[in-house]
Amino acid sequence: MAGETGGIKNDGDRGTGDVIQAIQIVIGGLLQGAVFAVLALGFSLVYRVTGVINLSQGAFCVLGALLMYTFQVSWGLPVAVAMLCAVLSTLAFGLVIGYTTFVPAVSRLPVSSILVMTGGLLTLIQGVLLIGWSSQPYALPPISGEAPVQMLGIRVPTQGFWIVGTAALIILGLWYLLARTGIGLALRACAENRMAARLMGIDVPLMTLFAFALAAVIAGLGGIAVAPITSLEFDTGGFFTNFGFISVAIGGLGAFAGSVVGGFLLGVSEQLAAGYVSSLFANGLALALLLAVLLWRPNGLFSAAPARRQDVRDEQRIHRPIVRIEGWGGVAFAILASAFVLVLPMVLPPGGILNSLVITGILFIAVLGLDVLMGFAGQVSLGHAGFMAIGGYAAAVLATTYHWPPLAGIGAGMLLALLCALGLSLVTARLRGHFLALATLAFGLVVDSLTVGLTNLTGGPSGLVGIPSFSVAGYSFGTATRMYYLVAVLIIVLVAMLQGAMRSGFGRALQAVRTDETAAAALGVDVARYKLAALCIASMLAALSGSLYAFDFHFLSPDMVGTTRSFEMIAMLVAGGEGTLIGPLLGVALVTLVPTLFQPFALYKTFAEGLVLVLCFLWLPEGMFGAAAVWFGRLIRRRGAVR
Amino acid sequence: MTLALQGVCAGYGTGDVIHDIELTVGAGEIVALVGANGAGKSTLVKTISGLIPARRGAISLDGARIDRDSARARVRLGVVQVPEGRQVFAGLSVRENLRLGAYARTRDAAPAQFADSMTAVGALFPALVPRFDEPAANLSGGQQQMLAIGRGLMANPRMLILDEPSLGLAPVLVAEIFRLIASLRGEGRGILLSEQNARLSLAIADRAYVVENGRIALSGTGQELLNNPEVAARYLGVGKGVSVTEGGEQARLTARLKTILTPSP
Repeated sequence: MAGETGGIKNDGDRGTGDVIQAIQIVIGGLLQGAVFAVLALGFSLVYRVTGVINLSQGAFCVLGALLMYTFQVSWGLPVAVAMLCAVLSTLAFGLVIGYTTFVPAVSRLPVSSILVMTGGLLTLIQGVLLIGWSSQPYALPPISGEAPVQMLGIRVPTQGFWIVGTAALIILGLWYLLARTGIGLALRACAENRMAARLMGIDVPLMTLFAFALAAVIAGLGGIAVAPITSLEFDTGGFFTNFGFISVAIGGLGAFAGSVVGGFLLGVSEQLAAGYVSSLFANGLALALLLAVLLWRPNGLFSAAPARRQDVRDEQRIHRPIVRIEGWGGVAFAILASAFVLVLPMVLPPGGILNSLVITGILFIAVLGLDVLMGFAGQVSLGHAGFMAIGGYAAAVLATTYHWPPLAGIGAGMLLALLCALGLSLVTARLRGHFLALATLAFGLVVDSLTVGLTNLTGGPSGLVGIPSFSVAGYSFGTATRMYYLVAVLIIVLVAMLQGAMRSGFGRALQAVRTDETAAAALGVDVARYKLAALCIASMLAALSGSLYAFDFHFLSPDMVGTTRSFEMIAMLVAGGEGTLIGPLLGVALVTLVPTLFQPFALYKTFAEGLVLVLCFLWLPEGMFGAAAVWFGRLIRRRGAVR
Repeated sequence: MTLALQGVCAGYGTGDVIHDIELTVGAGEIVALVGANGAGKSTLVKTISGLIPARRGAISLDGARIDRDSARARVRLGVVQVPEGRQVFAGLSVRENLRLGAYARTRDAAPAQFADSMTAVGALFPALVPRFDEPAANLSGGQQQMLAIGRGLMANPRMLILDEPSLGLAPVLVAEIFRLIASLRGEGRGILLSEQNARLSLAIADRAYVVENGRIALSGTGQELLNNPEVAARYLGVGKGVSVTEGGEQARLTARLKTILTPSP
């Protein structure tokens, strides 16, 4: 898991006194916190200028460090030269990515879509790192050598001074830029009101690009500073993004001082938890801290934005209508598609491909729930795989360790997921937009750390083995074909039911909530209730999917149902078509089947996933199925007009 | 400086909102755009300032085409828009708002000129001066409108475009804003005023255009349009004018308002 690789190595000496040990832990926490603070500053910078959380931030951190490794260790350049080259390369990369993806997205996508698109950018850059540096861990040599500084029995690694120095330099530089320069004022104007900023003659896209690239450089510098005392892999960026995001949320989005305080608070509390409770739960405890902060102060400790008058804010609301095939075309399509799904195994060669189709179907069940939650109700969820993990582990543990019948295990898993959803909704009910996304991300990460940490129950990082096949009353679904039909029938029933529900008053109420919560509430829609209903449906479907996944694989490990999977499911949903129910099947199939069919491309899977997500957001916002349905609808209408 | 539009069409999505607009604003002239809600006044104004691209036709400034220029380039040429709904930078201080108004000319202008503009705006809006260091969000609606106009003036506009400056203001403040607008002409500065309050804008305008369904339906001097029975019926309605008081300029306005209120022979 990313949390383990990203954590600072704790070289506190257990033999020394308690006080020294405590100080040692706090110093470790401050060092970790300095990195979080730098990351949080990058988040705040981009947020201040664009109103968007840039989830790709953490990947630039790793990019900077790995470039530094190449220049310093592989090419043998002097430290200063290597650092300059690494920073300039990170800047160039940031400019290219920003110019081609982020700037166009900011001008034409709704904020929640940009958030998820930057998640795609994170995956894409991680894919680039995987291709360029493969998957082994890297560590840089410390700038001032290995020997730590000894003071009053407390040892501080010299790199610690470099980290704190870099952080201080970045904080001061950023403060000066924003508070004292004309560019800084223009950047802040963009954040306040983009339309008015244009009228002042500010080049808003240029400022957006500038903020994005500057944030990339800041992250890169942070990565270079921290790389000697931690080990970095291509996917450590996810860890940095998560914890940077959490720091900035604790501190208050866009509040620079708050970002720094939030970073240090998170770093210290995480190291204290690791030192005194258990390193396995360190992440979980830090996240519990976040959820507590959000429950108490939904806008973070230091909110940047004063309460503002709604009438002076130009809110550009961009909405996409829900796409669907109307009337008899839809019915005909449903019958044809069902028939195709049921006949497919008969014409396919036996073997691997059928197994992949089963997995596609199982994941689709979870994405179906996510579509109700995100596509219809408009609630971003970055931790949806958490429910898969809850359902999957509950069912698998009950069936394997306690020999429950699988069906009862699935039922229990779904119930547990439902209870967790109700608990989560206590936090999320008050949250919107970025904070909602954050709370769901934190939820997913808590589940991650539990599945890894509860070793006795879940088998820990190496996974739970020996899970039986799914069976009902002695009839076993042990073969791929049987499993296929089980999943296929389940999907047809679920899609038909949800299709009906989404066309009823319930579905319309969900869409009203998605379009405008305030207006929906004004029309008498009980917004909180409908959001909760969507979350419940989504959590139960995810739990069902997770448990079927476990029974099908006979194995379940934390990374099969971890946060990476949550982002992957969003990619599947968006690529297939949000709010189309059946469309995401195309997305799931694309992401699941393509790597199976072309094994040599496995290395490029991460990159391709990120690329698909980013391209879909920019060029195919209604998804593959949505685009096809729009085209089909036009065709029918034209026919009708001719007649 | 003369702003001229010839055959301009623009809109959003697939359809055009404004069609074949022909319009000129000369130096030192106040030109009013009058029309109902949704007639296309705001679209027209945004097309001139470059927030929306013109799909056909030409926009020129003293004969030079500007319709392909960015909004930024147009501000630098002196075409400055004070947007509808004030749109001040709510979280920034009043001073910062004004500094941003001069953003486009910071490269050309000396700091002294900037300070002069700041003083001039302060003199024009004394109510803003004690609140220079407060966030703009704390200002009242009328003060925010003053700030929006002051911010526009900081750019040293040669062609000032005002979009619905009286929107959402109390009648007393409306009169004050109009009195102010009338005083902004001068030094060869042209003013294009897009307003729903037809009575007052026609009263202070030298010339005016009536916009209906995205087209120029009627044009003439402010006086002519005020006396036009069709315009009176459609845009002036019945009711009392707001008193615009003393002073040379104001006396002229009062006289004009009286002509509105007395039935034409």
